[in-house]
Amino acid sequence: MALHLNLLHEQILEQRQRQRDPLKIGMLVLIGCGTVMFLYYSWNAYRTLEIKSRLNAIERNWAKIDPKVTTAQKRVSELQGIVKTTRTLDDYIDGRFFWAPFLQKVARCVAPNAQLTSFEGSVFEEKKGVSVTLEGIAAGREPRAAAEDLRQLLLEQLGQSYSEVKVEFKSLEDLDTMATLGGTHMPTARYTLAINFNPAPAPKPTPATTPTRQKKRSDT
Amino acid sequence: MKLTKDQLKKLGLSTVGFVFLLYVYFTFFLGPLNRSRDVALAKINDRQRKLDNSKEEMAKAAKLEQNAKAATTRFGALRAVNAEGAPIAWFPPRMKAFFANEQIDKAVARLEGNTALKPEELSGWLRYNWIIDLPQADYGTLGRAIADLENSEPLLCVTRMSIHASPDAPQFQHVELAAANLIEKK
Repeated sequence: MALHLNLLHEQILEQRQRQRDPLKIGMLVLIGCGTVMFLYYSWNAYRTLEIKSRLNAIERNWAKIDPKVTTAQKRVSELQGIVKTTRTLDDYIDGRFFWAPFLQKVARCVAPNAQLTSFEGSVFEEKKGVSVTLEGIAAGREPRAAAEDLRQLLLEQLGQSYSEVKVEFKSLEDLDTMATLGGTHMPTARYTLAINFNPAPAPKPTPATTPTRQKKRSDT
Repeated sequence: MKLTKDQLKKLGLSTVGFVFLLYVYFTFFLGPLNRSRDVALAKINDRQRKLDNSKEEMAKAAKLEQNAKAATTRFGALRAVNAEGAPIAWFPPRMKAFFANEQIDKAVARLEGNTALKPEELSGWLRYNWIIDLPQADYGTLGRAIADLENSEPLLCVTRMSIHASPDAPQFQHVELAAANLIEKK
């Protein structure tokens, strides 16, 4: 068996120790990690730059559109205001009480023997009602009956166009003075009529068949 | 394998160096980069949402412009009913001319006052209350005149009417009208 002598064992040991130097290994690991991290950072930086360039493009777009949008928004709110105001004004216009048709109805009801001397009318906007006071002098063989005829006629005529119509005598008193009607002297009476009504027309009665049908449906 | 004291020292030093490297990397490099990217992404989302909304907003405005044509025209017409300037300067002469045209002379309109209107939509409008005195009118002419007034002045509403027989001139009646007129604030 041949004898093998290692005369360089000290040098070999030193070389092995140098190779296993933890600081050197650590430095190598650090450099490796650093490289990986740098690469990762570079990749992230590239993505960030790309995102920022996208953001710049969008910002430019927005800067172009922004004034138009602001103008459009202002116009929208302005138009909405106009629409609402017009609607409210139309409601106001439609909700007015028209006196001319009422005066026409009163004129048609007043017979020559029931002269009017005073007319006072008011519209109550909150209660949605109209109140009128008529004063006049009725003449005839039965002056009270002439005044009552006027009241009945007013009730009938006004009831055709308005709802909740009330025509009541506030006063009715005989007068001593006589009036000449068609060459005949007639006794007279002074009347005061209070008229109250709602200017909205009376609701039309619903057909009687509808509730029955509904009832039948609910029964089944 | 057994580590010598010197080797342990070096290993510790390497570990410290590694931890320091990680700290510097995440705190001063990757962290701020990620934050700035997140901020940019958030801004992009925000702007994109605004852009999408703006398209909708502009389409809505265009559609509303078409739909509100009738309302805009009507609003313009209603505004044009009232003249420019202080109402006290133009309303009484207008009423005088109107009733003179209806064969009712000596019409006088007086301002009673003005009030703000309750509906929020009419915050830009005021209600002017007037007293219109017609000392010489006859019932038939008055009826026609009031019909014309109610039709030609849509923003005017007669709230009270008083008609009395004139003792001096039996052919005439003394009429007093209380009217409210809506006028835009200027």
